[in-house]
Amino acid sequence: MTPMTPVSPARSKKTVGAMGTMGSDLRIAWLLTRGSHRREWWRVALTAIGAALATAFTLGATVLAAVSGRVYRVPLAAGLLDEPGTRSGVLLGLTLLLVPVLGFLGQCARIGAVHRDRRLAALRLAGATAWQVRRIAALESGLACLVGAAVATALFVPFLLGLTERLPAAVWAGIALVTLAVPLLGALVSALALRRVVASPLGWVRRVRPAARRGPGIAFLVATPALLLAGLLMAPDAFGGYAAAPVTVLVVVILTGMGAVGLTGVTSRITGRLLAARTANPAVLIAAERLRDAPWTAARTHAAVLLVTVVGTGFMGVRHALLADLNRDGPTAADMTYYTTGINLTGAAVLIALAITLSGLAVGAAESLATRRQGLAAQTAAGVPYTVLGRALLLETALPLAPAVLLAGAGGMTIGVWYGVVVGGTDWTVPYAAFPVPAAVYVLCLLAAATSLPLLRRTLRPAELRYV
Amino acid sequence: MSNNSDKSAPPLLTAHGLTKTHGRTPALRGASVELGAGEILAVTGASGSGKSTLLHCLAGIVRPDEGAVTYGHTRLDQLPEKRLSELRRTDFGVVFQFGQLIPELTALDNVALPLLLAGASRRDAHTRAGEWLERFGVLGQEELRPGEMSGGQAQRVSLARALATGPKIVFADEPTGALDSLAGEQVMSALVHTARESGTAVLLITHDAQVAAYADREVQLHDGAVVPLGVTA
Repeated sequence: MTPMTPVSPARSKKTVGAMGTMGSDLRIAWLLTRGSHRREWWRVALTAIGAALATAFTLGATVLAAVSGRVYRVPLAAGLLDEPGTRSGVLLGLTLLLVPVLGFLGQCARIGAVHRDRRLAALRLAGATAWQVRRIAALESGLACLVGAAVATALFVPFLLGLTERLPAAVWAGIALVTLAVPLLGALVSALALRRVVASPLGWVRRVRPAARRGPGIAFLVATPALLLAGLLMAPDAFGGYAAAPVTVLVVVILTGMGAVGLTGVTSRITGRLLAARTANPAVLIAAERLRDAPWTAARTHAAVLLVTVVGTGFMGVRHALLADLNRDGPTAADMTYYTTGINLTGAAVLIALAITLSGLAVGAAESLATRRQGLAAQTAAGVPYTVLGRALLLETALPLAPAVLLAGAGGMTIGVWYGVVVGGTDWTVPYAAFPVPAAVYVLCLLAAATSLPLLRRTLRPAELRYV
Repeated sequence: MSNNSDKSAPPLLTAHGLTKTHGRTPALRGASVELGAGEILAVTGASGSGKSTLLHCLAGIVRPDEGAVTYGHTRLDQLPEKRLSELRRTDFGVVFQFGQLIPELTALDNVALPLLLAGASRRDAHTRAGEWLERFGVLGQEELRPGEMSGGQAQRVSLARALATGPKIVFADEPTGALDSLAGEQVMSALVHTARESGTAVLLITHDAQVAAYADREVQLHDGAVVPLGVTA
């Protein structure tokens, strides 16, 4: 056995500085990540994927912002990136794509939360301070984000060099900044998320205060006048007109998105309360009580879905108006390609956002099951049929999402119709193609939730009763 | 201790030569046991002796690798999962150390759930659930969720839920394992009293001699096999 060398407190204080502490925390974080549970590896992998997506979109936006005002010939997207004007539209699209990515990352953070909490408590038992535990957890997230950011940058730079070789120094500085900022932000967000969590040495992690069951009420009340004020300041004369289109669209998107989230929370609570008090159907009872118990969980989970619904429905309306306008003016074939490429690229971006959002929803549903697996196995052992639990799982998504998606669709339709009226005037026609968008998103969300049904079947195996 | 079981009657549940392996670890090695109607049987043994696996096999929660489990005239080990699930809903009640209550449901709804699954109307299910909660001394806690109850209260709600459908057998796996001694005594008294009153058989898994003392009979498991009476494991 190796003899232990005693270290006096004075010596340890002198030699173990801030960097040394950070170094040891980093080593512990790495050891924990390396030896973590299978489900926590899922969190690490999905967080890295989310960070890679966030890095890729931010790198794209940063490069476009760094070359703003300059004219470049970019052999991509039918010359859409040649002009500073259209480039700013792409920049806005890339920035908006960060919304579903952040939603996805939020869902990833919940994976293996129970295991993580136990691990943090064990760290406290081993003598770590509460702050040290938070820092180690933050470093774990930072490491996962660093891997994702590094991979995205390693793929992005050769792609960029393939397009053009002469780029200003600001572009390279931006790339370096983004690659470093994404893991730093990941660690910071993780530390902030744990700021009210105290790891108890005696076996559990609890919040300093009971979780408040509040919705986005205050944020909504603050954001609404702030956005309206921003719109008026940016375009005081033409607010609501064509010149203020980006601001108007952004305001409507954000307000409708937030309104839909608020509506989801409120309807979740009301639906849960009403159904729980009346139903004799066990599946509806279980789903309704879960909604009544945690209405804002569903609202937060569905936030990105609702935003994508607003944008998707609005896009279909705008697309309809744009194409009608182009056909009226009779442009050349080259012009037509230029515009339709832009429209198609936007459509592709919306579909990418939808795919990321649905992935987040599926991850959230799977994690919710994994967390409850022992309780669910006990239900099956007591004779509750799989079909009842499966139906309850789907109803937890279906019940609160229906009115919210309807409202989000109405918001998107408002954008489409408003744009159509502004562009087309009296020649405006109804964008029928936008109508099925909310219904399609709703069905896709149910399918995303249904992807966790096979996991439910595995979770319900009585063997799960053996693992506490 | 009074015993409702009729010694001359055929056993209600019989297990013969059960073997079960988890991965490479043998949990049961030819275990045989009988449970009479209305009898309270304690299965004791050290940790890892196969007690819980035996309960899971007897309740039709898992299938044994070998051997037979007969309930009345029905071979449980040969029934399809759907029928087993139905049987666990109607004829059996199960109580675990923890985890059997749905955290989002109130105490009343948790007890009403098996009745609703059996097709009872909401009003009837709630009335009967209320009666069961009263029997177990937790009336007045109907609107509490499991997280808002003490361990003893939650376990009594679990017992009410297990007995609400009028099962023939209650399988209880360490029902007092997570409770202090006073709460444990209250839970055991309530279980034994109600089981005797309703003629329900109880198969009780425990490693606690005080809990086992509530039973009419005790069998001991050692390394997955039942130790014959009079033999010290």
